[in-house]
Amino acid sequence: MRRTRSEPREGGNATKHAKNKKPPRFKRFRDRRGRFERLGIVMIDWKDVPTLQRLCTGQGKLLSRKRAFNSARSQRLAKLAVKRARFMALLPYVGS
Amino acid sequence: MYPYEGMFLLDPVAHAASPETVEKAVQGLLEKHGAKIHRLERWDERKLAYSIKGHKRGVYLLAYFDLPGDKVSPLRQECRITEVILRQLLLRLEEEVPAYLERLAKYYDKIKEDAELRRNDRDRSSRRDREEGDDGGGHSSGDSLDSGDGMDREEDRDR
Repeated sequence: MRRTRSEPREGGNATKHAKNKKPPRFKRFRDRRGRFERLGIVMIDWKDVPTLQRLCTGQGKLLSRKRAFNSARSQRLAKLAVKRARFMALLPYVGS
Repeated sequence: MYPYEGMFLLDPVAHAASPETVEKAVQGLLEKHGAKIHRLERWDERKLAYSIKGHKRGVYLLAYFDLPGDKVSPLRQECRITEVILRQLLLRLEEEVPAYLERLAKYYDKIKEDAELRRNDRDRSSRRDREEGDDGGGHSSGDSLDSGDGMDREEDRDR
């Protein structure tokens, strides 16, 4: 027999929900955008050492997009900027 | 003529001996190749992230200029020959120098503003942690990315 959508399943979600009913929780709103999106900046200067350091780990590796909250575009800019800074010895290639 | 940004890493020893000669040498080099210099600024001697040609410290010279396109590689070549220049980076800009400088200034304004905001945030949150006090405090440090420690470290090192 074919069940239509509106019929509740036997022992299905309806009872399950009732059993585990918790008071609704509200997640605190968090701005998931990265720094550069939030500020509306579409450039990352390669001479801006403090900012670039924040995009790197203690070892001098570039932070992943997830860790840096970067958009694809910002991550590309960050990559380029860090590499230029490394060339000019403003940032290390290999950290201490 | 195209707009360029150039950074030159200078030998700190030679620069300390006679700053003007060295800086004039670089400026002369640019002008010799027909560059129209918009701005030339010096960064104070700072520690390098790694040693270059046996030097652990260096003086940076940052220049914004217009240069005929066919003079770029001769300029690079001559920089490599010049002994006081340890390393150089020449970048073609996407826009004219004044426009670029303006954009840079705006960028730094925003970054600075953000840094201040962040600092205030951090002060407030640390105060809250202190008031909560004996809560075990497992979560108090917050996430390391937003703490702005990198900046402080950099400043310390420069001093």
